[in-house]
Amino acid sequence: MEPEEIAGLVGAAAGGDSAAWTAIVEHFSGLVWAITRGYRLGSADAADVFQTTWLRLAEHLDRITSPERLGAWLATTARRESLRIARASARTIPAHDAALVGLGHVDDRSPEQAVLDAEQAVLDSERARQLWRAFRELSARCQQLLRVLMASPPPSYAEVGAALGMPVGSIGPSRARCLDRLRQMLTAKVSAQLLCTHRYERPRLESTRA
Amino acid sequence: MPDETDHAELAEELRRVVAQIDSVPSALLEAAVGAFAWRTINADLAELVFDSLVDHDEALVRGTGHGRMLSFRARTLTIDVEVTRTGDSRMLVGQLVPPQSATVDIRQGDSMITTEADELGRFSAGPVQAGPTSIRCRVGGDNLQPPVATDWVAI
Repeated sequence: MEPEEIAGLVGAAAGGDSAAWTAIVEHFSGLVWAITRGYRLGSADAADVFQTTWLRLAEHLDRITSPERLGAWLATTARRESLRIARASARTIPAHDAALVGLGHVDDRSPEQAVLDAEQAVLDSERARQLWRAFRELSARCQQLLRVLMASPPPSYAEVGAALGMPVGSIGPSRARCLDRLRQMLTAKVSAQLLCTHRYERPRLESTRA
Repeated sequence: MPDETDHAELAEELRRVVAQIDSVPSALLEAAVGAFAWRTINADLAELVFDSLVDHDEALVRGTGHGRMLSFRARTLTIDVEVTRTGDSRMLVGQLVPPQSATVDIRQGDSMITTEADELGRFSAGPVQAGPTSIRCRVGGDNLQPPVATDWVAI
């Protein structure tokens, strides 16, 4: 969406146009959600930050000084509230998440593993599962950056900078570094799997030769 | 060294995976659309100027020291609130500055409770639920004065 278009929606929503408000929510909700997830908040805390950000905006609509930069305003608000709630929260995040994805029963897996397994179940291909597993093994900073960059629709670098409190100039190089790292981990996973398959097949090969 | 095309392909693949696994929950999307209804027309906005969780200026920390201190400032009114938490519920004890009586609405995501501040500006409310909260004050029964509404903050 063009900046002038966004500014127009902000003006219309400030004047009481609920359709304009809905359009704003639909356009930026992916970014706001990605920020809360990037700060690795549990589901309940992420929901609180998400909702607080939109309630804030509703009250600030006619006070936004640069409406064409609304995305950066939302990103800054979501980042600050994420940091605030991370301090406020004594909730046990993995257990909470495990309950929310329907894993209330006790099993041998750690809560983190249970959440990861539930996430994996959604994915439709082995390649996607490997990619997500590799992503989850990245450093916290890389996961955070990539998670925000992968928001739908893709955010501008100004919005990413506001979301993470980092200079716009360092986003490109960091993105390249994190994607390189992701590729390395993915390659390692794929070759480890090939090796396993190879070892498994070897006795059969030898027996046919014998 | 992988070039930008490789990066773009991997990023696109990751974008698809993220969209499958962790898109915005629809209930939250609905709540965000519904946030529009909480706008206070013509309210004087009291901005969050102090939060003991993130601001560590000891000189500003008042109260018993057990709760979280929040301070909101509007042009004509300051609202100080101490929040104490017990599990998922919260107790609020507040002070209006300058001291004055007022009707105080504690607004939350899908509900609102109303209490009164006495002539010394003191009010209390709770237990209320954890989550995004805003306090709106209508001062002294004077309908000519706009209400004061605080920034939303998750408590």
